[in-house]
Amino acid sequence: MTEKHKGRVRVDTEVDIVVVRKAVRDTAVALGFGVTDVTRIVTAASELARNIIQYAGSGEMKWSRLNENNKVGIEVVFEDSGPGIAHIDLAMTIGYTSGGGMGMGLPGAKRLMDEFEISSEIGKGTKVLLRKWLRKGSL
Amino acid sequence: MVPENISVVKVQNILMVTVPSDPDDETITALQERVLRAMERHQVKGLVLDISTVETLDSFFARTITETAQMVSLMGGLTVIAGMRPSVAITATQFGLTLGNALTALDADLALDMIRDKVARQGK
Repeated sequence: MTEKHKGRVRVDTEVDIVVVRKAVRDTAVALGFGVTDVTRIVTAASELARNIIQYAGSGEMKWSRLNENNKVGIEVVFEDSGPGIAHIDLAMTIGYTSGGGMGMGLPGAKRLMDEFEISSEIGKGTKVLLRKWLRKGSL
Repeated sequence: MVPENISVVKVQNILMVTVPSDPDDETITALQERVLRAMERHQVKGLVLDISTVETLDSFFARTITETAQMVSLMGGLTVIAGMRPSVAITATQFGLTLGNALTALDADLALDMIRDKVARQGK
């Protein structure tokens, strides 16, 4: 069976969050990421999928394997047609506080990954892109 | 995932909950409900949440643990999270998740000891 290089998952309900986690986990493990990096990638993906459900209602996750200049990695993109984020700068400063559950975990997700890009337009939707590259000897 | 995957056992007024490896929201919510029901029926002095097989600790899970630990604390009990994997501890910290009142222990045995010690010091 040939290995899949990309895929997509509809994100419509909380149940889909687990589907996202599994798809991302399987790919990250297959690429050779260490245990902790796999956990980082899956956790970031889980939070962004959760954001789609909470703020947009539904959307889509697209994942793909990266292969550039002999580096391998994973790319995960979250896209929705929701209300968009009014103040991205502000959203990027609000993390999770103890038991508060505030914010969208965006700064946290950014910390877990190597590359993080976000674009949003009010009334149109939001797109978040995550990338992590495999480093030799990393956990 | 069927919520019955969670095992909840009462050991001398201490609740021992074993959490499955990748619990979905429904399972986590069911876990909290079962703990609360047990607390209503029995005098629960402590809660041990064994997360040794858990691979992902996301914000919903962290929030639910924090909430549950707070409820247990209000009733004079102690919550101990047992067996968190290093990869989960590293990721949760880096991401910015905290677990409120809950204490932690390397395994369920030590978690039980912690609760028993507290109960002994308080005097029955």
